[in-house]
Amino acid sequence: NYRPPFDATAVKKLKESGAIIVGKTNLDEFGMGSTTEGSAYQVTANPWNLECVPGGSSGGSAAAVSARQCVVSLGSDTGGSVRQPASFCGVVGLKPTYGRVSRYGLVAYASSLDVIGCFGSSVADAGLLLQAICGHDKLDATSSKREVNDFTSQFISKDYFESQPLKGLRVGVISETLGDGVDQEVISSIRGAISHLEELGCTVSLPSFSLGLPAYYVLASSESSSNLSRYDGVRYGNQIASDELSSLYGGSRANGFGPEVKRRILMGTYALSAGYYDAYYKRAQQVRTVVKKSFKAALDSHDILISPAAPSAAYKIGEKKNDPLAMYAGDIMTVNVNLAGLPALVLPCGFVKDGTTSLPVGFQMIGAAFDEEKLLRVGHIFEQTLQGHSFIPPLIADEFKS
Amino acid sequence: MGSRALLLLSPAFRSDHLLISHFTKYGFHQTFRQMEKIRRGGVRDYSVHSSLERPNVARLAETARISLTPQEAEEFAPKIQQVVDWFGQLQDVDLQSVEPAIRPDTEAGSFREDSPETFDNREAIIAAIPSYEEPYIKVPKVLNKD
Repeated sequence: NYRPPFDATAVKKLKESGAIIVGKTNLDEFGMGSTTEGSAYQVTANPWNLECVPGGSSGGSAAAVSARQCVVSLGSDTGGSVRQPASFCGVVGLKPTYGRVSRYGLVAYASSLDVIGCFGSSVADAGLLLQAICGHDKLDATSSKREVNDFTSQFISKDYFESQPLKGLRVGVISETLGDGVDQEVISSIRGAISHLEELGCTVSLPSFSLGLPAYYVLASSESSSNLSRYDGVRYGNQIASDELSSLYGGSRANGFGPEVKRRILMGTYALSAGYYDAYYKRAQQVRTVVKKSFKAALDSHDILISPAAPSAAYKIGEKKNDPLAMYAGDIMTVNVNLAGLPALVLPCGFVKDGTTSLPVGFQMIGAAFDEEKLLRVGHIFEQTLQGHSFIPPLIADEFKS
Repeated sequence: MGSRALLLLSPAFRSDHLLISHFTKYGFHQTFRQMEKIRRGGVRDYSVHSSLERPNVARLAETARISLTPQEAEEFAPKIQQVVDWFGQLQDVDLQSVEPAIRPDTEAGSFREDSPETFDNREAIIAAIPSYEEPYIKVPKVLNKD
């Protein structure tokens, strides 16, 4: 029942541009989770198959756009929480460069990784949303002073495309993301996307790729253990009364946090404790440096890098719930981008058969820092020229029959 | 996991080109296989990490000011142990002479002028306080432990 006393800068900017805020959506609480099964309220169903998860943590925002309950939505992406649900729900998910959008008013999970991201049913819609919310904010010391170009002028109708609109685009496919551990049908969808880009797409190797996952979880849980210490039941939230301060904290926090959140705080507390800082947190920071450098090298010789957005399509509800490591494994495609602070765009490119239903698959395009314009241009052209796929969930298909 | 890690370690500390070759051994496949092994609970070799004590969930909970029930503590311990074991991969890699990066550092960062502004919605802040007696936010006594 908490009512925030102020609007986040991103929301304030939206209101100023005339946006109509329809409501708030479901998520894994505090951004911790990949399915919305960690929500304090309920699990959100995937509009493509109600027995499947929409992804997470911003699963509600993805599902709402997928089911056309709203035109666009905001989410937050710390380790893939916008991009993975976009893939699972067959919508466009955009993660801006770290510093592109003010985080003032965003509940902090991991401050060196969090960004606010955009969902839309088309690249143009996601781009329009980004345009409205980005820019420097004096209330966020990590927001960039870089000038914001007009992204939206390049969303032209495909009738006006040149005959080879992506000629000369240097695409790198991250080879580590198309091997073992990735669903075969996901791989074929990505390969389909690559050939649609009319590029042989020379392969790029990022050898540090898989080490980013444990590094991410060390950093994220450590930073969250610090960020979530403010939830102590004293100034806001539900208070579990006690005679004594320590147990007021202990009881209020135990009552307010779900099990996944508690575990991550405990793991973060461990990784930051005296004697372990060097072994875990500092080493994870060093892995971050390696990841940043390898992306930079690859993006010096390529315009964009490509990978799947997730190693599989949406899971069934309950499938990963009791298995934290299995859940974390699904983030492999997305976390490195957060470590490096780069922008990335996920758009639907194909399907995976799941019994009698189809589940969408998204591919991820990663760009150089602050290069959202290029990502959006390529994404728009890809989407507008993609034949034979419509990404409207069967659930609502009737409303779209002409 | 333990013996393989040892094998990887010995050449590592002798070579200059180890950084890249190390990482290529940690392919995707390895990540999933290793996670599978840990999840099945069959791998408990601490030979590489013996200097690091296992997480003491009760003590961590006290530090983090979260009151866990005994049942929760019991349920969490193996899950936390699994993840911490998995974190152990970070020990097996040579990161000598790599600078730690505290943030992505994509040209972000600037401080605003240090001039105070009055917040215009104090009533809403006060309305959210669980235990308030104007002008005080109330908390119970602090117990002196030592």
